[in-house]
Amino acid sequence: MTEPSDFTRHPIMANGYEQPFSITVPPEDLELLRKKLEVVTFPDEIEHADWDYGVPLAHMKRLVAHWKDGFDWRKAEGKINAFPQFTRDIDVDGFGTLNIHYVHQRSAVENAIPLLFIHGWPGHFMEARKIIPLLTASSPDQPSFHVIAPSLPGFGFSEAPKQKGFALTQYAEVAHKLMLALGYPEYVVQGGDWGYTISRKLTFMYGGKSVKAWHSNFAPVLFPSFWSNPFLFLAALVTPWTPAERAGLEHTKLFGENEMGYIKLQSTRPQTLGYALADSPVALLAWIYEKLMRWTDEYPWEDDEVLTWVSLYWFSRAGPAASVRIYCETMRAGELKSLTANRSSVPLGFSFFPKENFVVPKLWTRALGNVIYESEHERGGHFAAHERPEDLVSDVRQMFAKDGPAHGIVPGKSGYA
Amino acid sequence: MTDNNERPFKLSVSDEDLALLRQKLELARLPDELDGAGWDYGVPLGDIRRLVARWKDEFDWRKAEAEINTFPQFTRDIGIDGFGTLNIHYIHQKSSCSNAIPLLFLHGWPGHFMEARKIIPLLTSASPDYPSFHIVAPSHPGFGFSEAPRKRGFAADQYAEVGNKLMLALGYTEYVVQGGDFGQMVARKMAHTYGNKTVKAWHTNETIAKFPNFFSNPMLYLLALIKPLTPWERAGRERTAWIYKYGKGYFQEQATRPQTIGYNLADSPVGLLAWVYEKLVQWTDEYPWEDDEVLTWISIYWFSRAGPAASVRIYYEATQTGNIQDIYTWWSPIPLGLSFFPKELDVVPRVWARTIGNVVQESEHDRGGHFAAHEQPEALAADVRGLFAKGGPAFGVVRGKNGYD
Repeated sequence: MTEPSDFTRHPIMANGYEQPFSITVPPEDLELLRKKLEVVTFPDEIEHADWDYGVPLAHMKRLVAHWKDGFDWRKAEGKINAFPQFTRDIDVDGFGTLNIHYVHQRSAVENAIPLLFIHGWPGHFMEARKIIPLLTASSPDQPSFHVIAPSLPGFGFSEAPKQKGFALTQYAEVAHKLMLALGYPEYVVQGGDWGYTISRKLTFMYGGKSVKAWHSNFAPVLFPSFWSNPFLFLAALVTPWTPAERAGLEHTKLFGENEMGYIKLQSTRPQTLGYALADSPVALLAWIYEKLMRWTDEYPWEDDEVLTWVSLYWFSRAGPAASVRIYCETMRAGELKSLTANRSSVPLGFSFFPKENFVVPKLWTRALGNVIYESEHERGGHFAAHERPEDLVSDVRQMFAKDGPAHGIVPGKSGYA
Repeated sequence: MTDNNERPFKLSVSDEDLALLRQKLELARLPDELDGAGWDYGVPLGDIRRLVARWKDEFDWRKAEAEINTFPQFTRDIGIDGFGTLNIHYIHQKSSCSNAIPLLFLHGWPGHFMEARKIIPLLTSASPDYPSFHIVAPSHPGFGFSEAPRKRGFAADQYAEVGNKLMLALGYTEYVVQGGDFGQMVARKMAHTYGNKTVKAWHTNETIAKFPNFFSNPMLYLLALIKPLTPWERAGRERTAWIYKYGKGYFQEQATRPQTIGYNLADSPVGLLAWVYEKLVQWTDEYPWEDDEVLTWISIYWFSRAGPAASVRIYYEATQTGNIQDIYTWWSPIPLGLSFFPKELDVVPRVWARTIGNVVQESEHDRGGHFAAHEQPEALAADVRGLFAKGGPAFGVVRGKNGYD
């Protein structure tokens, strides 16, 4: 139920007009990319390096050759533009107005549940491309959703903030105001990576009133803390881990040791890194492709698929350097500790994928909050919506289904005709 | 045991390489920047914009190259156990003093052989008042104009082996070593492996040390507990804390995924410039870098024989083989001189630093940072001279070469 105070607390200023949007990369930008690809300089490689030192040279050479000569950006652009996209101005307290880009795909089911899908890094709004048709489909047997998939500020085709200090509070504010502007004062949220963190922030800022439930496939949890979760802490000590959980912990440990250099860099010196990402398509490709390969579960990436993904970063409105600032700003704002320490009471559904970056025992994840739904999968990694869209959608549907734990949680929008 | 393997070397970057650099700079695409960012997020945009413009249109590489070539440079093949033969590039500047002490100068990352450019004339000059040195300043394998190793696992032992074999090949059966950054790691390994055999003493300006361990250094442990930090040492701890909090991103990336960051460095001169320039500014003590000075430095990386991506592998190899943790166990009884500069990365209390080796000299400075040989050449040269001077704690360690005529 909406209350007038919801609106007055966060008045939407600026003109509030929605503009339809299509991606049209200017020909000069395509030309510049081509010229840069023509003068690429590759490093050499240690013998038998495989993936140990980073992205293998053979992969890079193959992808760059294709990007230069075979990849058809206009075709990829056309396919993306099949999704209904818009922009509108959103006012952010202390940061002025940002023009925000989003996909807004409504279901034919009028009472579909409004679902906000939040991407992370190096993700983007098109991570939702496979789940949108599934979630919005109508059927008497499962709930339907209206899906809103924005580009976070500084990503995709949204403007980037100009001032320092744009952190979780601001990302959440933008997301929430977008939903209100679209006429969804009550909604649910789905996200992984930064999508998880921002979703969690949303539950603290607008939970109960607006954010009715949330679902995630990612959680950087640590061993339950005795002080915040004494029961879970003790349970975690005595509960024997299953083989799957043990494998997950080993996987998490390796991730922590070998794969987190980018986090340390992006959370301390994003601008220094940004020069390479802005100037060299090869640098950007390596930087992102590494994650696409290392964080997924043997997903059979096609070259065009990879290049479309990376091109979205290369041609992004604010440039690729802007996207990595989220790490620095959120760390510096110091919001992450309290975010994890406090328990979120908004109902949460969680999907476990075996090759996610952090794979920890279910018990630990229950410390995240009010977990009402859990699902475990045999396949899949970090980019669940892209890798395992049917699995993810099935989980979300089950959570909100007629016999599901979150059925009817958004009043008047049960997801059924 | 000199041999005929040595070839004189003159740096001569091809016209095609210069043209390609120019082309890339002309296509440069810069990012935006947050309002008032300053240095808070990394290198400021204004600095990069100015440096890129100069590099593209005004910087005269041939002039810089000619200056580098005033130093006598050579290459020779060195065989390394398990790694085949690598062609190694080095400066070899002899002193006019015939009894000069052979000194091996070891650079680090993002340093290079020309870090020695200012101390070479100082250390090789002959005088009755201080000792003289013959200087050997190589490019480490994978840096400057030395070949890079092809196989994995090339770490401290191998860099040390190269250094030792080079000195022996030049006829220096006994010598001393000076190094900072990775040069310090290699120097320490050399002291440990070859100490009292070929390496007779060493000096470092990067004092990587932990709190003394009760079992290995009971006296130093007790002293460290009791002795309060001096204001200098307290400031040093703050400096080190700041570096570890804000300045270790590059380290973690290079130590885990050097190839991934290598694509940045190899393809984008702008990316390389930002990556290295950040260290030149943040690791020094308000050193007044001139643009051409910076561009010469970066160009040595850009035009390096193996390419800039090869240089960062040292972090990966040193981490994977355990060098980074084991370094504290590489003790040697040979005399060790330490120079303490306030804006170094690892600034430790004196007592801790005494765990590094057989410390016979400690010199504390009020100015200077990580690139001591470049920032504070007179101070560093004075420290090295003092170590080996008549009446100094390491006088005459090299038989027949005490540094005086």
